[in-house]
Amino acid sequence: MDTLNILLMAFISIVLVNNLVLTKFLGICPYLGVSGRIDMAFGMGLAVTFVVTLSGTMTWMIDHWILMPMNLEVTRYVCYILVIAGAVQLVEMYMRKFSPSLYESFGIFLPLITTNCAILGLCLFINLWGIDNLPEAAVLSFGAGIGFTMAICIMAGIRENLNMADVPKCLRGAPITLITAGLLTLAFMGFAGMIK
Amino acid sequence: MILANMYELWNSAWPAGLIMLGLGTSFAIVLLIASIKLKVEVDPKVEQIHMALPKIDCGACGFAGCSSYAKAVAEKPSLIGMCAPGGAKAAAKIAEILNLQISESGPAKKPIVHCRATTGDKTIYAEYQGIPMCISANALVNVQACKFGCLGYGDCVAACKFDALHIIDGLAVVNYEKCTGCGACAKACPRNLIEMVPFAHENMMTVACKNKENGKTTRSICKVGCIGCGLCFKQTNIFAIEENLARLDYEKYELNDQTKTAMNKCPTGVIVFRGLTAPEPRQPAQKPAAATV
Repeated sequence: MDTLNILLMAFISIVLVNNLVLTKFLGICPYLGVSGRIDMAFGMGLAVTFVVTLSGTMTWMIDHWILMPMNLEVTRYVCYILVIAGAVQLVEMYMRKFSPSLYESFGIFLPLITTNCAILGLCLFINLWGIDNLPEAAVLSFGAGIGFTMAICIMAGIRENLNMADVPKCLRGAPITLITAGLLTLAFMGFAGMIK
Repeated sequence: MILANMYELWNSAWPAGLIMLGLGTSFAIVLLIASIKLKVEVDPKVEQIHMALPKIDCGACGFAGCSSYAKAVAEKPSLIGMCAPGGAKAAAKIAEILNLQISESGPAKKPIVHCRATTGDKTIYAEYQGIPMCISANALVNVQACKFGCLGYGDCVAACKFDALHIIDGLAVVNYEKCTGCGACAKACPRNLIEMVPFAHENMMTVACKNKENGKTTRSICKVGCIGCGLCFKQTNIFAIEENLARLDYEKYELNDQTKTAMNKCPTGVIVFRGLTAPEPRQPAQKPAAATV
């Protein structure tokens, strides 16, 4: 029961309180770039969720079972990037085979998940926060993906409605998007302190 | 000293290198298996066709982009020639790739806006304060007196990917230098004012009006509307009058004395040139040139 409680806490914490996009400002590139339409945003969220779950869990395993016993923490970054790049390649191949339309609509953003700082950030955060059991690391990774999906879908929903709004001329395009992102972040700041 | 450091460096570095090598190899094996299991067969023709296309993803063909059009053409050759910006050249290349013969197609089509009324020329009944888009302004009756003319909110401008259309003084004006002829503007206009016309000449003559009301009504709401008087039709039969509106047969058009006279005789000056080096249209208040000669 206690473990379950911790896992649930970790999940809520990473989705709402420590949302990577909205409170850590990571992964802003796809957050602004692919949030034009809600279906694409959802697809992007799912792809990132898959990659981040896979790479978060695998980097924890590599970190704790290989690097730490051999005192090779210096190679952490390189190993993490290796894992993330491999996972992205896997997702890309899978998507091309089973969902070509989604593959085409992502375009350049799919390979760019490799350099998505939200994913490397999450892997490093797991290390920084001193997570020392595999289930928690897995839940955190999955939760980070869900949090990203939520953030990007909210953003896409707002932007779809923004298209119909009478935005002042000087704010059209990128400025209003950034203002929206800022307001959204402010709203999510309200969750800070929910979990100590 | 340096040698000792080198040994030290080597001793601390080789396990790291080995680990990286091991990890890299294992990932390579996983990806290799995945690439065999998840292989997608791509027709080499698709890639070749994609190379032959302009790759501007304008969507004129009705597909999402050049790559999806390339795929569709490879499967269904009857779709050949849908690429407006690529024109006959791209079509010929695709035909070559697919080993087909195509018949000669006509000159490239470019859009013509069938309205020449600027802000001062048209009558506005009410101030419109809704969503600034033609499609919503068009849904309201009586915003603009003319039910057929350009509303000037720029749906066509938003649809144009090449910055080739602008609202100048309340009227959509095509910049023919930048226009690729993709036809997105023609689809965007809720009043169907923009027509894709085969540009056989650098400048095409056109009746820049779509108003089908009778002459009196047209005169009362627009200074430059076609009143359907038929003066142009009397000059040459490439003009025709349908529902109080003069139409020009673009296929038969050429610049000669008859068409020039028709243009000059037009009492409202609605027959104008559109094209790359089109001269400024005649002012509506001015007397027809023929009358002064």
